Amino acid sequence: MGIPAAQMATVATYLLKQRLARRDRYPLVLMLEPLFRCNLSCTGCGKIQYPVQILRKHLSVEECVSASDECGAPIVSVAGGEPLMHPDIAQIVRALVEHRRFVYLCTNAILLERKLDEFEPSKYLSFSVHMDGPRTEHDHSVCREGVYDVAVSAIRAALARGFRVTTNTTVFEGSDPERMRAFFDDMMELGVEGMMVSPGYSYEKAPDQDHFLRRGRSHDLFSRMLGSPKRSWSFNQSPLFLQFLMGKIDFECTPWGNPTYNIFGWQRPCYLLQDGYAKTFRELMEETDWSKYGRKSGNPRCQDCMVHCGFEPSAVRATFESPQAMAKTLATLVTGRL
Amino acid sequence: VTEARIAELVERALDYRGYVTLRRSDGSKLVGFVYNRGATHLDLLDETATQRTRVPLDTISDISFTGEDAAHKAQEIWERRKGKLEPRDTPAHGDWGEAGKILVLVALREELHSVARALGVSARGAVVRGRVSGSDVVAVAIGMGADGRRAIGDHRPWLVMACGFSGGLDPSLVAGDLVVATGVRSPGRNTLLAPEPPRKAAVVALDGVRHFEGELVTAASVVTVDEKRSLAGSRALAVDMETYSIAQAATEAGVPWLALRAIVDSLDSSLPPFARKGRRGYLWPALRYAMSGPRAAMELLQLARNAHRAGAALEAGLRRLCRALALAEARR
Repeated sequence: MGIPAAQMATVATYLLKQRLARRDRYPLVLMLEPLFRCNLSCTGCGKIQYPVQILRKHLSVEECVSASDECGAPIVSVAGGEPLMHPDIAQIVRALVEHRRFVYLCTNAILLERKLDEFEPSKYLSFSVHMDGPRTEHDHSVCREGVYDVAVSAIRAALARGFRVTTNTTVFEGSDPERMRAFFDDMMELGVEGMMVSPGYSYEKAPDQDHFLRRGRSHDLFSRMLGSPKRSWSFNQSPLFLQFLMGKIDFECTPWGNPTYNIFGWQRPCYLLQDGYAKTFRELMEETDWSKYGRKSGNPRCQDCMVHCGFEPSAVRATFESPQAMAKTLATLVTGRL
Repeated sequence: VTEARIAELVERALDYRGYVTLRRSDGSKLVGFVYNRGATHLDLLDETATQRTRVPLDTISDISFTGEDAAHKAQEIWERRKGKLEPRDTPAHGDWGEAGKILVLVALREELHSVARALGVSARGAVVRGRVSGSDVVAVAIGMGADGRRAIGDHRPWLVMACGFSGGLDPSLVAGDLVVATGVRSPGRNTLLAPEPPRKAAVVALDGVRHFEGELVTAASVVTVDEKRSLAGSRALAVDMETYSIAQAATEAGVPWLALRAIVDSLDSSLPPFARKGRRGYLWPALRYAMSGPRAAMELLQLARNAHRAGAALEAGLRRLCRALALAEARR
């Protein structure tokens, strides 16, 4: 597993505190969207379709830090939009790191190499580079030629300067499991710390509606992709979440696990659905009708969703709440088999 | 319109990725982006994306979908180019353009030190480079009385800032006061008015810092106390040697300009003779001057204090200005 010991220890301590405080709902990762503006228009993205005046807006450094403090999650995933287009992104990251948050800066890496000077390597900072597969698949997914090569060059540059680098891969219908396995080899050969994989969410606003995975198809595809994993592969994710993707284990969604904050406020109920916004984190947690979400709720928008932002927290929580799940996780870590 | 119909329209509006127009029972209209709704209200962000309004549902008589649907537009673009990728040489910032440079022009390297400190970098040579809020800032010491035309051509900035020390012409100005130029004139030439957007942004950014807004006058050489008194009748606040030429060069290049000056000598004083010429270094001439007599030594001590105050004020002002201007440009 490609998660540093310090981060695992912080998360474990945090989870223990939540259990001791008998909290039923608590955040694990803050999804911070400081802007919606992006320099790409990816085929499966439903995040950036807003009027231009809204796309020009961004959160200030103070708003980002305040959201992180309010939420209290030990991990902050800075997403967007393309965060590196934010004029104060380096300051935002610096401030979050000073608050000892583990920051994953999600980027398409187009601007990464030229912006590296603005950041300082830290165990708290990881660039999470968007890589949707091998060169052809990735360039097709982001709808621009040459982006794979730019990202690989930026990953090399960041690693050479001592930064932590991970990759995040969204898998769509039509992905070839064998080519994806070769892609995992390529990423590990590059020297990334770990990889993250997730099926794409079927955003209603995304231009391409034909390539989102249904649940059964996800199980099939991830089983073939992750079955007999190579020892060299390292995933920056809970092993139980990977087993969930393969259909070996089932979880219910915990939408409050990865709360989302952006220019509108705290997004209800999760990173993917937009049923309005709460003004405060407390309001989000206390006044959202959570029973309306998740597979068991019957909500049609949740039926095929297997995205990490809803199920990774479920997997992490299960690991620390059930001895069997902990045993499974440890077995996976020791044997390397999913 | 029934309550059920309004409820249905509100749900559609929440899902709509464009502006809607709310018609209210009192006949007024509100245009904006609906981002939230509750049992009795909806929340709207106005068309400038700056003002949030909570509207009670029972005051809404109709909702029409008047703005372009960004999701539909993205769909159309994607369908048009289906299968065809954007070319490799698409700009790194996509459709958004890269934030340009701010060019800060000062006369002397001594002034460049204040700029460097404001940018958090060290000053070596006649050029200083920094980065503020995603925008590059380049500062160049162009020499006394120069126009910075070459630097503007080399760096092609989006904003030119004439910066540095100046002499006070208004009796209320003391060393360390900042002046933001509303315009600049040169004896025998027309007044150049400072472009409004950067000037207004500067004044907002300097809120809380002692500063004045008014006209500058640019002279061909360092002015004496008598010359200052005669210029003081023109209602200009301060005098320097470069702002007019820089403003003219920037205007000719089609680049907006802004002038920020820090007072180093007040109306009833002037610079000692050795400081009236541009030099590589001022240490030896200053020491020689100090040794010419106790009065000169005192005068020099006072000048050092004033220059320190002016430098610190310039640094503090520039730190705020560069950040505010870079953010304004990024939002533009």
